[in-house]
Amino acid sequence: MSPKKQPRLSLWTTLVELPRNVWSSIFRNPIPSNDLERSATSFTNFFLHIHPVKVHKNSLRPLFTLGLGLMSFFLFVILVVTGILLMFYYVPSTTQAYDRMLDLRGTVAFGMFLRNMHRWGAHGMVAVVFMHMCRVFFTGSYKKPREFNWVLGVILFLLTLFMSFTGYLLPWDQLAFWAITVGTAIAGYAPLIGKDIQFLLMGGTSVGQEALLRFYVLHVAVLPTVLTLFIAFHFWRIRKDGGLSRPAEADAIPALEFPEGSSVLEPHRTYGVQGLVRGPLHAAGKVPDNTVFSWPNLFRAELFVFVVTLSAILLLALLFDAPLEEPVNVMLPPNPAKAPWYFLGLQEMVSYSAFWGGIGVPGLFVFLLFLTPYIDRGSAGVGRWFARERLLANTIFLTFVIVNIVFVIIGTFFRGPNWAFVTPW
Amino acid sequence: MAVNLKKISGGTLSPDGSYRRRMLGWLTGVGLVGSGVFSAISNFVFIKPRTASGQPQRFSIGKPEDFPPGARMALGAQRIVVIREGNRLAAVSTTCTQLGCIVGLSDTGFACPCHGSRFDQDGNVTGGPAPRPLPWYKVSLTPNGEIEVDKDTVIQPGSYLSL
Repeated sequence: MSPKKQPRLSLWTTLVELPRNVWSSIFRNPIPSNDLERSATSFTNFFLHIHPVKVHKNSLRPLFTLGLGLMSFFLFVILVVTGILLMFYYVPSTTQAYDRMLDLRGTVAFGMFLRNMHRWGAHGMVAVVFMHMCRVFFTGSYKKPREFNWVLGVILFLLTLFMSFTGYLLPWDQLAFWAITVGTAIAGYAPLIGKDIQFLLMGGTSVGQEALLRFYVLHVAVLPTVLTLFIAFHFWRIRKDGGLSRPAEADAIPALEFPEGSSVLEPHRTYGVQGLVRGPLHAAGKVPDNTVFSWPNLFRAELFVFVVTLSAILLLALLFDAPLEEPVNVMLPPNPAKAPWYFLGLQEMVSYSAFWGGIGVPGLFVFLLFLTPYIDRGSAGVGRWFARERLLANTIFLTFVIVNIVFVIIGTFFRGPNWAFVTPW
Repeated sequence: MAVNLKKISGGTLSPDGSYRRRMLGWLTGVGLVGSGVFSAISNFVFIKPRTASGQPQRFSIGKPEDFPPGARMALGAQRIVVIREGNRLAAVSTTCTQLGCIVGLSDTGFACPCHGSRFDQDGNVTGGPAPRPLPWYKVSLTPNGEIEVDKDTVIQPGSYLSL
């Protein structure tokens, strides 16, 4: 048996076929034109394979998710990219940091623009992550089996706030210095370990060079790594918990869906591969197929959300410049000394009592947030906005949201010098 | 020791060596968890600075003549205000006892710009969220006639140094 004669590969054919060969070695599938190729595209592409091959139609309804989770993720990506670029010019030193801020504004090409994108992206991420949490609550999407993913989400929310907190010391301006002085002092009110946390955060007894370096390391290395890990965990749990939540009726079994005598759709057959995955089994034929292929439906939606998010940040960065206050003066706090808007609710509460406003009440809020899916265990009203069955839970949460917003508004607009009550008009 | 090991492993010694296997598994687990805890503690020890940087806690602020009678002079970098009444002198902290902002001098005493705490002339809280009065620091005259403030020693409010 002699080996079959190979066709001769001439240099010419090698060159002619080179582009196509390189292309097909990277992208194993053609642009999909049938269902098999659509599946293959989803699970053989490194960047796409975290998606399911098929996605439930309900998950694609824009008015159900509002795209908020994706938006948070894309904002994080924008922040990582702009943040890394800013690192090329930033020095975490008390003598240089502020000058570097001025350099970004004055001499670095696109310096101001990148700082604007980073600043508004950060504000946007805090807001969008919070809104995403509201969406998940008001649609009852933290119910079984998604309890733990809600917990991961709360951790992500806290990490986002901590990211922003560590970030705003870095410009080393008056806002930065006094906000961190106040913020670390609030941490000092935590029972038992408060003083130690404060000392560890600042690397000393007051905010200075050590604190700046520590906040820098936390902001550019520690927290992004932890955040990335938790984001991956959060996404993975979405898949393992059976995709996004949806109302039970979205999977209802319509009567007599299948033609009689159909052998392909035998009502008792279970797909083997899905059988390996813990979770709801989709018995073929029992469940009507309300799913569509991720390519192109899901990817088109994701691209849309990405373009909207990026455009919004670009527009904001073009229109509004990130503020930079006076350089640090350790002898004279600005009056009033205000944190960024999303911490002004906290600052307002702190103005009544440092322990209760800064540690006690927020700690209780966070504790209740963590426990939410384990307290509110009813299964009714999942996957619908403001379901009537969940009136009590939604009312409690809405109250909590409104109280927070009211405190932020008071802190932002109604507080003047010496934190005295003023009217903005 | 042998008694303990048997207890931990359930006390059975079966011919297929499961006793030894469980023992090894248990030791491995203890070793891994122990190393994890140990390294976590080491990390905290590492990031906790051994020396604190910043302002010295004991410093000289000048001669008594620098502070004329009736003066209330704030020293920003040292975060104190020097009060002189006649021949008596005292140093009061200007770091707000709530969250560490620097209080400013006001007509009635001190006012904090961050959260609106107010203090009277002696540093007692008259309003706002501050939990404690402003501390008074020990003041002494050095042999060369300078005034030395010791921020590590808090004294009774109202105790002045007689010059």
